[in-house]
Amino acid sequence: MELQAVLMAAGGGSRMMDLTYNTRKPLLPVGNKPLIWYPINLLERVGFEEVIVITTKEVQKMISTDPKMKLDVKMKLDIVCIQEDAHMGTADALRHIQQKIKTDILVVSCDLITDAALHEVVDLFRAHNATLSMLMSKAHEFTETVPGQKGKKKNGDFVGVDGTGKRLLFMANEADLDKGLVIRKSNMRKHPRMHIKTGLVDAHLYCLKKSVVDFLADNRSVSSIRGELVPYIVRKQFSKSMTSPNVNDEADQKLKKKDGNANVEIKILSRDEALLQLTRERSCWNDHRGDMSEAYHGGRLRCYVHIMDEGMCYRVNMLAAYIEANRLAPKLFDEPAVHPSAAISVRCLIGADSIIGASCQISDKASIKRSMIGASTTVREKVKVTNSIIMHGVTIEEGCNIQGSVICSNTVIGRGADIKYCLVGSAQRIEPEGEHTTAYYCLTLPSHTQVPLTSTLSGNSRVAKIQ
Amino acid sequence: MGLVASRGGKQKKGNVTSEQEEEEQPLQAVLVADSFNRRFFPISKDQPRALLPLGNVAMIDYTLEFLTSTGVQETFVFCCWMSNKIKDHLLKSKWCRPTSPNVVHIITSDLYRSLGDVLRDVDAKNLVRNDFILVYGDVVSNIDVSQALQEHRHRRKVDKNISVMTMVFKESSPGHKSRCEEDDVIVAMDSKSKRVLHYQKTQGLKKLQFPMNIFQHGSDEFEIRHDLLDCHISICSPQVAELFTDNFDYQTRNDFVRGILVNEEILGNQIHLYVTQDGYGARVSNLQMYDSVSSDMVRRWVYPLTPEANFTDQQGQGCTHSRHNVYRGAEVSLGHGSQMEENVLIGRDTSIGANCHISNSVIGNNCTIGDNVVLDRAHMWNNVHISSNVEIHQSVVCDGAVVKEAVRLNKQCVLAYNVVIGPNLSLPEGTVVSMHHPEEEEEDDDDEFLSDDQEVGHSKDKTRQKAFNPAEVGPEGKGYIWKASMNDTEDEELAQCLWGLVLNPDPESDSESEASEESQDRSRSVSPEIDDVNAFQLEVLGTLQRGLEENIVCDNLVLEINSLKYAYNITLKEVMQILTRVVLEYPFQQQGTQLTTLQYTGSLLPLLKTWSPVFKNYIKRAQDHLDCLSAVEELFLEQDTHQTAMVKVLMKMYQLEILEEEAILKWFSTGATNDKSRQLRKNQGLQKFIQWLKEAEDESSEEGE
Repeated sequence: MELQAVLMAAGGGSRMMDLTYNTRKPLLPVGNKPLIWYPINLLERVGFEEVIVITTKEVQKMISTDPKMKLDVKMKLDIVCIQEDAHMGTADALRHIQQKIKTDILVVSCDLITDAALHEVVDLFRAHNATLSMLMSKAHEFTETVPGQKGKKKNGDFVGVDGTGKRLLFMANEADLDKGLVIRKSNMRKHPRMHIKTGLVDAHLYCLKKSVVDFLADNRSVSSIRGELVPYIVRKQFSKSMTSPNVNDEADQKLKKKDGNANVEIKILSRDEALLQLTRERSCWNDHRGDMSEAYHGGRLRCYVHIMDEGMCYRVNMLAAYIEANRLAPKLFDEPAVHPSAAISVRCLIGADSIIGASCQISDKASIKRSMIGASTTVREKVKVTNSIIMHGVTIEEGCNIQGSVICSNTVIGRGADIKYCLVGSAQRIEPEGEHTTAYYCLTLPSHTQVPLTSTLSGNSRVAKIQ
Repeated sequence: MGLVASRGGKQKKGNVTSEQEEEEQPLQAVLVADSFNRRFFPISKDQPRALLPLGNVAMIDYTLEFLTSTGVQETFVFCCWMSNKIKDHLLKSKWCRPTSPNVVHIITSDLYRSLGDVLRDVDAKNLVRNDFILVYGDVVSNIDVSQALQEHRHRRKVDKNISVMTMVFKESSPGHKSRCEEDDVIVAMDSKSKRVLHYQKTQGLKKLQFPMNIFQHGSDEFEIRHDLLDCHISICSPQVAELFTDNFDYQTRNDFVRGILVNEEILGNQIHLYVTQDGYGARVSNLQMYDSVSSDMVRRWVYPLTPEANFTDQQGQGCTHSRHNVYRGAEVSLGHGSQMEENVLIGRDTSIGANCHISNSVIGNNCTIGDNVVLDRAHMWNNVHISSNVEIHQSVVCDGAVVKEAVRLNKQCVLAYNVVIGPNLSLPEGTVVSMHHPEEEEEDDDDEFLSDDQEVGHSKDKTRQKAFNPAEVGPEGKGYIWKASMNDTEDEELAQCLWGLVLNPDPESDSESEASEESQDRSRSVSPEIDDVNAFQLEVLGTLQRGLEENIVCDNLVLEINSLKYAYNITLKEVMQILTRVVLEYPFQQQGTQLTTLQYTGSLLPLLKTWSPVFKNYIKRAQDHLDCLSAVEELFLEQDTHQTAMVKVLMKMYQLEILEEEAILKWFSTGATNDKSRQLRKNQGLQKFIQWLKEAEDESSEEGE
């Protein structure tokens, strides 16, 4: 086995609280499949037979019991549960399963929906004996109007790659660059042509050497892969101790003692390292041209990135991405748009770009366009649904008009309600004949639940209606 | 051959321009035949830099050939230093013949001090009417600029006159020998529009910093390039001359580029770049560059400008080219057993003795070389006389120099005009010998840029009549060593200046900075709370300061400090320690650290009184008292010159009932943990104070009974 797949599915979806309030992020329906199905399917397509899924008890229970959440996959899921309230970061989670990790790993986040050719990333990893290789894609401008959100903050990453566009040289967030972009001259000498790209989105798909996991086990201060580990490795590529293989051991020891932190270095010596070294010495191959120094300039830590030029790549971590993914995800798999068990009236209108879930009831004269209807949802007469996402078990009474909205599970929409660009929480009752328009971020909460208002309703365009 | 090539190029260009714009005026160029620096001193004392021979052809001829072949029809040559010599040279050359496709105007003035002056003069005289090429007289290039010119014109057409300059760069990786360390640049550019966003010389820098605002121009792809060699060829709009006039502080092109990039927001002017991959372009800015450009020339990198092409079209300059890049001029005689290994250019009428070994060298016209001579990377100009058994490595020997028997020139030696060396001498590495006395140069400082003061210099020389030192230049030698007779710092500077800096990828300095950065990283990740404490301390200081200025009630100060405590997650103990420290350091903070003890106590004691309610709020339990005392102690251990003030502080705090006597006594008897604090307790004033406290206690207890 060359790579072990690890799926990170314990995230709460804190950036789209409104959706994940009742449904955990991995289980959010996208194209009538739980979100977590997509990365699993991605792995299955490229031939993985087993995946370690790190998730919470709640999600595990739902996956195994709830028929709606049933994952239709053949591969073996090795589900590891972590405490939900332990505030574990992704790196913490990796540390948690260190015992299970025997080889290099491929880490995927559960919110990734992509049709990327995974082998591109892995090939970079193999070809350069890289420590890290990752996937990035051009960020999408979300075309659909997002319910209740106006404008978005720009907080882009700056990614520096070399002339070939593969080697990852630099990574920083715009917010951290208040003093400007600083690059060491020696790095520029090694990689004289650096492309700085902005407007990329990190797919959170990483190939990591096993030694990185061992490094994590020794360094408990690192808690997030994206936030801490990856920037650390990228930076580490150019540090001295990594570039000169024969460091003076004595000095090294002293240094370590001084730091009082003996294992900060990533040990990258693998068992065939010596052989590779020999191969490189004997061959005329080089990764760069222009100067006469050895391949990789003697550096032993290398990061690579595959940047997708086309194709789809979404991280469903925000409402806008969720809506966009729902629009496009159905194209990823070829299943009938209308589930066979759905009861569809003959005299209703269903657009080809809509999906109808299992055991739905669609009545006469209903019109559904560019929308997703979840399982066991009832749509009554003369309902118009356009550009919307309706989750499971929703009941829409006669004459409703729903446009550009997201309706969460088990909600009942009263007769004749007019909902435009709204987000409706789960298990709600929307009063009949009500009119809800763009200006509102109509988050309706059940009266019996106590929600810290300040935390969920911080935006000034958000209005809560507590019934 | 050169002529053919240049004409062919010209015709092609002519067609392109006529097709593009009918009323297009002839392409103009501004050639600056002065470097405005003294890098080639003492060589350039006798000959301006533009006329120094490179491959037996004056450097300015290369520049003019480049301009002509790229389609320039009118060139303005600006001369300052030794303008007469340049003028004479040009008037004799093919450029001033009536058939020349490139009309050369020579403009001389002794008042030019910089490129800025030249361009201001261009503006004043209203010489240019259209886009022009700006180039120095020491640029050797075969780049076809027409592509860059087209792009430049296109840009100017598309958005009206926004782009003022297109700089021409050649792609060459760092460490390439034709890259000049001093001229090394780093460029940040917009990948799509080829716009220059940042331009910086990298010499002496370890870290390169790019301001963020350059990345906020809408594009999402940028390039930072360190693989560019600045050819010092720029295509300028007529506005460039105006801009130089408007900004009289612009002296160099560097000033201009930086100025435009910084003021881009205001003026709306932009600079673009053009990168060529296969052309050759370099500026001979020091001897190191002279060496590399000369060897590139002989190795035919500047084709079609090759030695045998005789593009200057001068009688007798022709030479033959045979394999291993060996070029021989007319009437060259080569003695028996002499070898010309490779990359050798020998000028006409030169005779070489027997058993010589010559490689990678250029030998000028009318030279005589004796027997058993070894030349490697030697640059010998005209009329040089070399005796037998001489060895020369990577050195420059100027016109008329004589090297006597058995002399050895080690690397990077320079024999300036008419110097005589030897016999039987070995010149150490980097020796510079000139007929001009180095001190004479200093005296001439005032009129360094004035030409034609040679006679004056000579007469001075004669009056001074300094003897040549036979130990330095040999028994029959003539010339002064420029190194030895100047003081150390200047001489190093000079030697460096002449040959330029040697390229070295300074690895040790890298590691240093990396190590420090890493340690920073680590400390940051390991102990972020230290920052919190520091920040808290600053905040407390700010609060107290404001409290004094605005006369805020102590209760409110307490409230504020409490809220800070929660904001920074500081324990109560730390609050007290920090508070004590801030208050006690307050006089230093406000009035500087060099206060006398008396001034210190004078300003501190009223403060203690003012803030005593704040202290009382925090110091309640017995442990609090001890913590506070240990903070006081710690501070005075640091400020050991003010230890006498400590007792006064303690006294005041006791009087203000901030501290209780039991606590002070307990602290005094048990608190000592190391030598220093024990030493502190031996302070006389403190001893007395404790004694007094004890007595007071006894009294009070007696009273109690």
